[in-house]
Amino acid sequence: MTQAHDYVKTNFEQFKGQLFDLLRIPSISTSAEHAGDVQQAAKWLVADLERIGMHIVEIIPTGRHPIVYAEWTSAGADAKTILIYGHYDVQPALRSDGWLSEPFEPVERDGFIYARGSSDDKGQVFAHIKAVEALLANGGKAPVNIKFLIEGEEEIGSTHLAEFVASHTEKLAVDVCIISDSGMPTPDQPSIVYALRGLTTLEVEVFGPATDLHSGTFGGSVHNPVQALAEIIAQLHNPDGSVAVPGFYDDVIPLSDEERTELRKTGMTDEVWRQTTGAPKPWGEPGYVTHERTGARPTLEINGMAGGYFEPGFKTVLPAKAWAKISCRLVANQDPEVIGGLVRDYIMNISPATVRTEVLVVRGAPAAFVDIRTPEMKAAISAYEQGWGRKPVFMREGGSIPVVGDFQKELGAPVILMGFGLNDDGAHSPNEHFMVEMFRKGINTAIYFYEAIGAGELHYDNRS
Amino acid sequence: MTTAHEYAKANSQQFEAQLVDLLRIKSISTLPECKDDVQQAAEWVAADMRRIGLTTVEILPTGGHPVVYGEWLGAGEGAKTLLVYGHYDVQPAVKADGWDNEPFDPVIHDGKIWARGSSDDKGQMLAHLKATEALLANGGKLPINIKFLIEGEEEIGSKNLGKFVVENRDKLKADVCVISDSGMKTIDQPVIDYSTRGLMYLDFEVQGPKQDLHSGGYGGIVHNPAQAMAEILAQLHNPDGSVNVPGFYDDVLMMSAEERAELRKHAPPQATWEAATGVPQFWGEADYDLHERIGGRPTLEINGFASGFYGEGSKTVLPAKALAKISCRLVPNQDPARIFELVKAQLLKLTPPTVRSEVHLQASAFPAVMDTHSPAMTAASKAYEQGWGKSPIYERGGGTLPIIADFQRQLGNLPVILMGIGLVSDGAHGPNENFTLEMFHKGIDTAIYFYEELGK
Repeated sequence: MTQAHDYVKTNFEQFKGQLFDLLRIPSISTSAEHAGDVQQAAKWLVADLERIGMHIVEIIPTGRHPIVYAEWTSAGADAKTILIYGHYDVQPALRSDGWLSEPFEPVERDGFIYARGSSDDKGQVFAHIKAVEALLANGGKAPVNIKFLIEGEEEIGSTHLAEFVASHTEKLAVDVCIISDSGMPTPDQPSIVYALRGLTTLEVEVFGPATDLHSGTFGGSVHNPVQALAEIIAQLHNPDGSVAVPGFYDDVIPLSDEERTELRKTGMTDEVWRQTTGAPKPWGEPGYVTHERTGARPTLEINGMAGGYFEPGFKTVLPAKAWAKISCRLVANQDPEVIGGLVRDYIMNISPATVRTEVLVVRGAPAAFVDIRTPEMKAAISAYEQGWGRKPVFMREGGSIPVVGDFQKELGAPVILMGFGLNDDGAHSPNEHFMVEMFRKGINTAIYFYEAIGAGELHYDNRS
Repeated sequence: MTTAHEYAKANSQQFEAQLVDLLRIKSISTLPECKDDVQQAAEWVAADMRRIGLTTVEILPTGGHPVVYGEWLGAGEGAKTLLVYGHYDVQPAVKADGWDNEPFDPVIHDGKIWARGSSDDKGQMLAHLKATEALLANGGKLPINIKFLIEGEEEIGSKNLGKFVVENRDKLKADVCVISDSGMKTIDQPVIDYSTRGLMYLDFEVQGPKQDLHSGGYGGIVHNPAQAMAEILAQLHNPDGSVNVPGFYDDVLMMSAEERAELRKHAPPQATWEAATGVPQFWGEADYDLHERIGGRPTLEINGFASGFYGEGSKTVLPAKALAKISCRLVPNQDPARIFELVKAQLLKLTPPTVRSEVHLQASAFPAVMDTHSPAMTAASKAYEQGWGKSPIYERGGGTLPIIADFQRQLGNLPVILMGIGLVSDGAHGPNENFTLEMFHKGIDTAIYFYEELGK
């Protein structure tokens, strides 16, 4: 227990109050009407980073939502430098989606903070800001130089981040990158994610008649675009649950027996699956178990679809168009552009001549893989051991963090995925929450991590 | 040309202005928030009935929106009695659906009046009120007794009208019924539909996980209900376009070779359909011509569906549920209750064990066929000849008028004439619904001729 940890203990209630303030800002990056809120969240962070003593704090505009950048470099030129990445934007949320409380009016119930963004990612990135505050407080010093890169476009695919990283490699020159934007299976067992899935998203539009028609006057003579879209979507998977797009699996690297054995140790049990999903019966690609399907296999998912009339009551309309939003989660070695092209070509190929179909490949990010034998990873393991009193396990994660690949490629620095969330936090879902205890342990573990990196003497496993 | 026709001509602009007034009222029967507007439209119709000289005018409550009833029985007991049916409720409409003007702020241009309900059915219904006004004006008389039954729930399946008809058999007693709530292909060729399709409308919901999930964390291990819904819907038609519901066609009365030959004579050219729909290629049951698919064959249509995130931008969500609205247009002798059971059974059978599903009936109506050789039909034919200068052709209509089967069964097999004065290209139920003013005025003249023919 150091002075910084004492500071955390003393100020924890205040930290929580500050997090509540940040969670009240509905910084939904995908929605044009919330652009002002996204900006406000960026300004809120700037104010907090200035207050805790960061030397340089900037709001850097991009093509859409700004990046918040901050640095403290008084540890000196010889000390190691850490880049802390996080995001202040959130997924959309409406009370009517099934929230028990307003998504942007945080409440604490039974040891959890309920609000959109509480776990993904405001709560997790804020844990780092508070860890730095604890070290710098009362004229203190951090054992490492620190740079913060907090973006506002993670939930819309980090559209402008790759370009920013590539064009600011000097500013962002660091020894290690740390990202806290993932979850553990249980609060007692810390885990470090070493593989993330990539992402390709597509939008499909199917056009039939020039305008909505009367289903009596025209029904039976026109291929209903809602029906046509359903027929297209139904052909995207094989009956066994695998993706039917030709070539989709071509570049997937098969799991080794060794890795499958290792992963089985932390795999989701059927019971946990049933509880967290509430779905009647498991589903998925044959030949793989649940945690392999989410961590190691690519997917094609319908995120949403609509067409015609779907309000209460009824309208006997033959709709003019229908549309769907599709995303593919990708695994290592799959190229998001190649996959986007394959899915687009396949959909165009199966689209019947009775309708007109358009497919737009919106964006993509490759899957990421982290080397678990680096000295920086050893520092992370040691930090978790101190913060949690337990050695972390290594896991594959089904989600995507596009910037991991960019950091690896452009900055040549190792990336550590030090998640402080829980898998069942409800990220992207109604009633998203963040466990208060995870917030506290997260701050403490971050401090231990900075100290471990600062202490040096960490050796690469395979170095002689 | 009689005095009544002169009156109609002299007052044509005033009639148009009255229609504009009625079209401003947002009487969308399916939306609870428009309940007061629906009531207001009923009051508007009742006020107009009183003004033109109907002797008894009532707004009669039902389990839902009210019925407006008006009568004029001055022709005496020996004269024939005509029942005019219409509806003052409309389909939903918002400008964002693709309208060029606000759907409840009517505009007149290119010889048409543009507004929701202009053709279906406020404009067509009002033509009969204006024909009656023309005959009663200046102390005039009608050659027949006339009763108006104008309802406010046609667009939601006339839910309460069947019961209303049963409870008011005596009040509604008549020799013939006329309904103007359908369309012709072209302005030059009048059409009488001699059949209407029935309707069965249901909600279908597929549920997967208990709530929306992160598609990264759970994608690949949960059967996505949007996908499952699509997989089910895709199985509802066979590759040849026919409906894949066991038993669906069992009760369909096949069209005779004679009827098919007769229908083919007047079938509109494909170019007419192409212009009206704008589809790249037609679709449907391969063994039937386009006009047969629409009038003579039953259909299964997905009127809409929604699941997950479908707004601007993206949300990588694995949705908890998916909803679809499915309806069937039915032909004689299909029974909507039996068809609901058949479709429901098929939907549940096609639902895989990895998701749950529910089916709820929204509305139903029987199909109907009318006798083309009745005296009333002859009178209608003569009226069109005078109003349009051309004999009407007989067609099978694709739409649904739930009330016809009720009239036929509850009012002593009352002959029903479908005297449509709209055009199929009016955009009923779609954006930019419109009503051609020439059709409105010809419709008023034809109605006057019809009443006069019936009175002979």
